Amino acid sequence: MNTLSIRLVHELITQSLAAWHVAGTVELTGDRTIVIGAKPEIRIEPAQADSMFRWTITIDGRTRPAISLLAVLRQVRGALDPAYAACCVRIALLPVAPS
Amino acid sequence: MMATELIPVSVLTGFLGSGKTTILSHMLRQPEFSHTAVVINEFGEVALDHELIEKTEDSVIALTTGCLCCRVRSDLTKTLQDLLRRRDDGTCMQFNRIVIETSGLADPAPILHALMTDAALASRLVLGSVVTTVDAVAGEVTLDREAISRKQVAVADRIVLSKLDLTGEVEASLHDRLTCLNPAAPTLRAVYGRIESDNLFGVALFDPKARVSWLAEAREHNHSAHDAEIKSFTVVRVEPIQAVALTLFLEALAEHCGADLLRLKGIVNVAESPEQPAVIHGIQHVFHAPSWLRHWPSDDRTSRIVLITRRIPREWVEVLLDAISAEVAEVSASNR
Repeated sequence: MNTLSIRLVHELITQSLAAWHVAGTVELTGDRTIVIGAKPEIRIEPAQADSMFRWTITIDGRTRPAISLLAVLRQVRGALDPAYAACCVRIALLPVAPS
Repeated sequence: MMATELIPVSVLTGFLGSGKTTILSHMLRQPEFSHTAVVINEFGEVALDHELIEKTEDSVIALTTGCLCCRVRSDLTKTLQDLLRRRDDGTCMQFNRIVIETSGLADPAPILHALMTDAALASRLVLGSVVTTVDAVAGEVTLDREAISRKQVAVADRIVLSKLDLTGEVEASLHDRLTCLNPAAPTLRAVYGRIESDNLFGVALFDPKARVSWLAEAREHNHSAHDAEIKSFTVVRVEPIQAVALTLFLEALAEHCGADLLRLKGIVNVAESPEQPAVIHGIQHVFHAPSWLRHWPSDDRTSRIVLITRRIPREWVEVLLDAISAEVAEVSASNR
């Protein structure tokens, strides 16, 4: 179950908009939903407990899942920042111990 | 040197007329640089710089097809591969170091990217230090007017102030400016091309000691109005960071910052390897594979990640790491 502090995610989204120089307000509603007041409006919620995803994002009425906060950020920025092109670069997983 | 030993490639950069060639020419006359291959890039129609280098063998190559940063894939990598082939064939000297002098207009970042990411080169070459020359006479005006000169300073491991024979002393305002742009890079002084330090390219970028020193010297800096967009700050974490969280954090930085992440270096206490810290290094959207120190260099086991950024708020970087770490911790706990 996703019990991650919604306040922390709210802060992340707020700071992300500032970092991307994207206009919009970010509000935390009582039912663990983050609402981004921008064009388009975006709602971010923890996914249902039985879901294989962690987050649900609704953009302009269309709902889609996200497997991680990184995926949330990618979708939010993709919707709000027309100049943003999702980068295909991926970093290989850190070796967890020295070889 | 064994054939399998990695050859360090250092980059000498600096704005037009800042004294790169003079310094290089002087350096190559020193015995310790006798086994150095040099690649010189010029932007003008006629290459002159390589002619100014007093060379003893055919190990100086001029790249005249354009600014190196714009054609780095096709030209630089080909040139370096050719240089290595000639070394292997015995048709040029057995150099143990390569120095690339960039054109004064070059953005050093793509050059560093190529050195860090080209698979064919990675098995033979390793990125050494980045040295940036700054004209002590005109440097401040150049920094005001030319964004590329600020970037050249920001990515340096060492800054060399040239033409001190003309000015005598460095203006405090220039010194402050350089410190603001790159607080971690030591500043060396060149008089008539001679540098006070005989260790200009001596310590590689990937030398753990150099990096730890870089971290120790780094501190948060905000800049004057001219450089307000470039900031340096250090993210510090006392608690170890899970390897997956660190990877995702770096991925997010690469994806969302891109060219605005001018430099990142760090020593990280990875939860899965508490006795051996990871050393990380990145430029823009390219990150080098982490290296691991044999042990902590001091009793301080905090993770310290130094970033030099353009228009990236520190607050975002801090909360990004916190949120990703929290999510990874939660997923890890739920999988147990």
